[in-house]
Amino acid sequence: MSDHSALGRSKAVIAKIRAATVLTVRRRDARRVAATVTVAYLLLYLWALGHLAPGLGGYSLTIVEVPLSKLFRPALGPLAFTPVATVELGPLTYLFSLNSIIGLGLAVLVGLNLGLTYLVWTQPRACGLGRSSTGFIASIPAILSGTACCGPVVLIVLGIQASGVLLTTFQFLLPISVVLLLGSLVLVARQIDPQQIDSVR
Amino acid sequence: MASLSRRRFLAAAALSSLGGCVGRRSGGRSEQSVSDQSAGGPPTTHTVPTADERLPLPMEPAELRQQARSGGPPKDGIPSIDEPTFAAAGDVDYLSPGDPVFGVTRGDTAKAYPQKILAHHEIVNDELAGTNVAVTYCPLTGTVQGFERRGTTFGVSGRLINANLVMYDRATEAWWPQILATAIPGPWNENPEIRSLREFRLVWTTWERWRAHRPKTRILSTDTGHSRNYQNDPYGSYNPIGGYYENDSLLFPALNESDRFPKKTVVLGARTADGAVAFPKNALRSNRTMTGVLGATPVLAVFDPRLETGYVYLNPEEQTYELDGETVVGPDGTSHAPDELPLARVHTFDAMWFAWAGYYPDTNVYE
Repeated sequence: MSDHSALGRSKAVIAKIRAATVLTVRRRDARRVAATVTVAYLLLYLWALGHLAPGLGGYSLTIVEVPLSKLFRPALGPLAFTPVATVELGPLTYLFSLNSIIGLGLAVLVGLNLGLTYLVWTQPRACGLGRSSTGFIASIPAILSGTACCGPVVLIVLGIQASGVLLTTFQFLLPISVVLLLGSLVLVARQIDPQQIDSVR
Repeated sequence: MASLSRRRFLAAAALSSLGGCVGRRSGGRSEQSVSDQSAGGPPTTHTVPTADERLPLPMEPAELRQQARSGGPPKDGIPSIDEPTFAAAGDVDYLSPGDPVFGVTRGDTAKAYPQKILAHHEIVNDELAGTNVAVTYCPLTGTVQGFERRGTTFGVSGRLINANLVMYDRATEAWWPQILATAIPGPWNENPEIRSLREFRLVWTTWERWRAHRPKTRILSTDTGHSRNYQNDPYGSYNPIGGYYENDSLLFPALNESDRFPKKTVVLGARTADGAVAFPKNALRSNRTMTGVLGATPVLAVFDPRLETGYVYLNPEEQTYELDGETVVGPDGTSHAPDELPLARVHTFDAMWFAWAGYYPDTNVYE
């Protein structure tokens, strides 16, 4: 009974996340918000990491030897990975690393959260959603997680002296952010009325 | 090839540890290189060339180890450049005239290592006029050091002491703090022989000045084998100066505090077994020559306007030298280049004041 109940609850949660995602993607305005936030967040993340910045100029693509073996190699810290390709885009240089993939995943989560939050605030009843700021609040750690990969750099900007505790904290920002973002999707999804979803569809 | 070398070095280090006394005795002390046995037998441990005189340490080696802290990156998270490539001076377009480079001349060979590149790698394992060398740079302390190496290569341990780069060498896995240039125990070699590396001077100057000084110089290229944006210094910039290099904040604490000068003031430091001495670079630029005492020996610091740098000489008889334009006039009226006085030179390098005073709290300093 309890196992079945837990499994049932898990399925229900997953269904709600899917429903929330579908809802965000299907509504043009929410989709626009989600896409904009996703792109903006990813760019901010890469910039904070130093993987998107003014470069030496020119247009070129350079890939390191044996890129796959280096892809998972930590660089500045446990969650900052070694770049394996350099893309020169005129005035900008982009470094590809595992962090681009992680950043994209985070960006999508942030985008979905803010897309849903947008729906909540603008059209609560029509979408069967209760008013809530959960999505927005949960996005804050995700934004901070961009700093997790380059803690020392942030410390430079803020003029703070590093300590072991602080550097360790940076390492946890990423997993904490993911958990909070998924959690906020669940919380918002709980407020979805399935029948309202059907009617919107 | 690189992989094989890596495995060989690791095997050598392991065998050295297992060997106990045998490993310790053979490591570091022998100056002669021993060729690997061609038929069977374990590979020979490549020794690290060390100086006859041991440099001063501010505390016991084991205590220094306790002061080590993670800078964030793991071992080799900041990758050394192990197969550097060089370009002719006229073939590079990524350097501005005022960009810092670290220049060295040996025989007919002149090489420049841009600060822009070393900010991302910190160590270049290179060869200079037939000698294997490591060119090392610590962005946090503003120090450039050249060391001789033999078959070993140096890497970035990921640890800092006094905010200064702790290197390790891949043959013995001992820790070598960059400013101290002396082996200390670490997690990968608990009992290294406590000796000092053979140092050589790299001049911190600008690309424009270095090219004028050594027109045929070769310069480290951005083809390092790594993907990095060499236009983006994570710590700040030197041209124009900004970020960490300009502000009064530290990212990591110094071993000893000093408020004699602002933290990032650049000094020219020299230290021997007898003591340490420092000359603020701006003061030397203004005064052209400065006198001081290193241990118990009078020293003379001379400014070199060609490269905007300085040199420190032992001057036990306290002879008077004066800078006249770009040459130095001695007590007998003869002229010399600033880097070629007929006095014994002491190894000198630039350092941020907080790091110099942190490691050498009893240093003499003149302004």
